[in-house]
Amino acid sequence: MIFFFILLVFVLIAQMAEFFIPTLDWMYNAHVYIVPVIVFYGAMALPFPLMLALALFAGILLDVLTVQVIGGKVEISMGWSILLYAVLAGIMHGLRPLFIRGRWEVHCILSGICTSAIVLAQYLMITFRRGSIFFSNEVWWQIGGPGLIAMLMAPLIFWILHWIARVTRYPYLPEGRIE
Amino acid sequence: MSRTSIIALLIFGAILGYFLSFGSETTRKFQSTVYQWLAPLFTTGSGLQKQITSVRTQLKSLEELERENSELQVENRQLRATNQALRDVEREVNRLRHALQYKERSVFKLVPAEVIARDSSTWWHTITINRGKEDKIDTDMPVVTDEGLVGKTTTVSASIAVVLLTTDENCKVAATVEGTREQGITSGERVASGLTPMLDLNFLSKQANLQPGPKVYTSGVGGVFPSGLLIGAVKSFRVRELDGQAKLTPGVDMSHLEDVFVVTGRK
Repeated sequence: MIFFFILLVFVLIAQMAEFFIPTLDWMYNAHVYIVPVIVFYGAMALPFPLMLALALFAGILLDVLTVQVIGGKVEISMGWSILLYAVLAGIMHGLRPLFIRGRWEVHCILSGICTSAIVLAQYLMITFRRGSIFFSNEVWWQIGGPGLIAMLMAPLIFWILHWIARVTRYPYLPEGRIE
Repeated sequence: MSRTSIIALLIFGAILGYFLSFGSETTRKFQSTVYQWLAPLFTTGSGLQKQITSVRTQLKSLEELERENSELQVENRQLRATNQALRDVEREVNRLRHALQYKERSVFKLVPAEVIARDSSTWWHTITINRGKEDKIDTDMPVVTDEGLVGKTTTVSASIAVVLLTTDENCKVAATVEGTREQGITSGERVASGLTPMLDLNFLSKQANLQPGPKVYTSGVGGVFPSGLLIGAVKSFRVRELDGQAKLTPGVDMSHLEDVFVVTGRK
């Protein structure tokens, strides 16, 4: 349980940190997203109910801190990010046995893909509101860039969180035992 | 699926449904409350970021000095570092003096604010400032610098506020082109086509035939932005099927915003 609360704190810190991390000029101003990687790690490490709670917390934070209410209209309603996180975390959770067997690489790659999927879903939702859908090189970089960065960051973040899980004696990780 | 998981899923569904039922006003109020809770984190984060940037700049200048002067002695290095620190102070003083002069000569009532955070999302262009309802800031108030229009406030909590930049596609400003009778509406690009975000000035007449250079100002139509604020300068013009469209270079460099002013009324 301690580990779950640690993950919640990390999600909050990461969400705040994203405000202060500059965009990457060389990648068409792509943003660095850390929160999805933490949530997807939680999806593999936590049991189903706690995974949902983590997705709920991360989704609320994302919605509150990014969605803009302009002229009395909301482009992406509160709750959509929660749903997105829950669905994607659910997919990751399904691959939990693989992770417990020590196969990290699949989840690192999936973390990147799922991060891009969140940005793509946001793009499709705002495009639905604003009209005129287009997929230029810049759009693809804005969507794919954060995924690539997340994929590269994932091994390090997973390793740190894995280490914290061991330190806090989180019981999901008994060597060789698959729940 | 276990019984616990099913109960968790039901609770999750109920909470999700609750949030999905939020209207725009409820969303704004909820955002405002959460922003207020997180205000200390924003302030701390902003302070940390400034310290890190300052250390990085100093290290870089030391590296440059080392490269340029391989024979530089320790004492010399200290003197140069001191000099650099003084230059930083001087630049800060100049910047603040410049801002103060602008506040004094402006015809508007201005509330000075500091940028404490930038947008964390891909599709919205915003900044967060350290002024809120306690400073009589409200939603839809114009935000400017001495260089021109920056945007308008959206979510406002007690001590911080979110500003939607003119470079955002949703920030639409009624505008007029200097030296012509042309009027249009500016908006940002959904995705910047280059490294510097540009603005689109839409709904111009097809005969406008604008050349690069003329400045574009707010026309005052719409009620949010007062007239006469610089938005940007025309970079190019093209005729579309129904209207003319100009690309504008923003008057304000949004990537280096530090101090801004919120227009709360006229003097």
